[in-house]
Amino acid sequence: MRRIVSARVADRTTADDLVQETLVRVLAATARVEPGMLEPYAIVTARNVVASMWQERDRHRRNQHRVVDLRAPEDPGTDLLAREERTAIARALERLSERERQTLLAHEVSGQDTRSLAAELGTTAGAVAAQLNRTRARLRVEYLLALERTEPPTDRCRPVLLALSSGDRRRQREVDAGRHLLECDPCARLSEPLMGRGQQRDDLTRIPIHRDGDIVAARQGARDLATRLRFSRTDLTVISTAVSEVARNIVRFAGAGEIVVELLEAPRRGIRVTARDTGPGIPDLEQALTDGYSTYHGLGLGLPGARRLMDEFAIVSEAGRGTTVTMTKWRQEG
Amino acid sequence: MTTGPALVSILRQGSYLIASIHTALDDSQMIRFQHDLIEQIGRHRSRGVIIDVAALDVVDSFGSRTLRNIAEMARLRGALTVIVGIQPDVAFAMVALGMGTGSVYTALDLEEGLAYLDSRVSKKVLGGTVIDPPQ
Repeated sequence: MRRIVSARVADRTTADDLVQETLVRVLAATARVEPGMLEPYAIVTARNVVASMWQERDRHRRNQHRVVDLRAPEDPGTDLLAREERTAIARALERLSERERQTLLAHEVSGQDTRSLAAELGTTAGAVAAQLNRTRARLRVEYLLALERTEPPTDRCRPVLLALSSGDRRRQREVDAGRHLLECDPCARLSEPLMGRGQQRDDLTRIPIHRDGDIVAARQGARDLATRLRFSRTDLTVISTAVSEVARNIVRFAGAGEIVVELLEAPRRGIRVTARDTGPGIPDLEQALTDGYSTYHGLGLGLPGARRLMDEFAIVSEAGRGTTVTMTKWRQEG
Repeated sequence: MTTGPALVSILRQGSYLIASIHTALDDSQMIRFQHDLIEQIGRHRSRGVIIDVAALDVVDSFGSRTLRNIAEMARLRGALTVIVGIQPDVAFAMVALGMGTGSVYTALDLEEGLAYLDSRVSKKVLGGTVIDPPQ
């Protein structure tokens, strides 16, 4: 038996393990096997044990990238880096709840499928898959934190990173992820590898706003994106003009911010512009939305003008934290 | 001209200046354009200015304010300004935005603009209604 196993497995200790396992199986089966057939049975069992070990390894290799898909680019020979990574993964795994960890390891490492996991946990395969996705999202966040050896500075950070890691756009809006990334430098840095995940969105443009020239870039970006929805020429001009006004507000009053332009498919086709800044905030919103009010030498038309140009307009401002303007233009159908 | 030929050009045509904006300008480029133009009015003793904005796809509150300021400064420097080439979509957006540019003369295109200046400037010279610019 040892001969059969070691013919297939080079590593001595592994071979010993497999021989042991085969023996256990054969002994357990002696009652069921005819006396003369014990030897062939042992040989077949040994073969099976070896084969299933290969399968296991293969599956492990195939699945490994799913457990850890955030590894920095391979840099051969840097054993230290690899060790740090392993520590980080171990620490990240520790952060998961016992149940999360068990399920994840059973699925990713032992290769147990979602259906049998669901049966064990008394739930459905879909629920297990969803749970696994959430767990992987958490694992990515915890891994990054462990690798950087940092703790997020505020209690808002983890939910934001988690929402980014899972790629859940609704959740990202709920936790106002965009604003948080503007305000929180560690998260902005940590989230970089998370952002690259999932489908690249070609229906969204993000334009950082710092100086005059960025205003032109923002309205050009908005126009380029809106063109794809076949807005009329007039609407394209209206949208770029509104973007120009909110972008200028950022440059003049806040100094830094960003404009995100995204295409909407539901409830109707349209374009949404979100302008965020980390400026001082607007003390009197009602006044700022009144024609002619302006604290710099403009026409005082920035915000009220943009509101008139777009179909929907909302503004939220908090003293000391900044302002977010969200405005939407729907495409006229037909 | 310090703005460079790629963004704007200011050409002299008799007693007129013809300024064409070739591409979208950011705010500081717009302000530089304003300075250059006002300065050249004095240098060339121009009586009329045409600003061609046909290439602009957006004229926002800052843009229209600057155009209005240029017209007013040019007036103080003894020159009449006509804005030509405002695109229909731009006109729509300017009205929707609520910008009042009523005090600035406009014409459909360069030809109309020149005709307008011809008709007005000679009269203005005869009437001598221009306020002397402070030096």
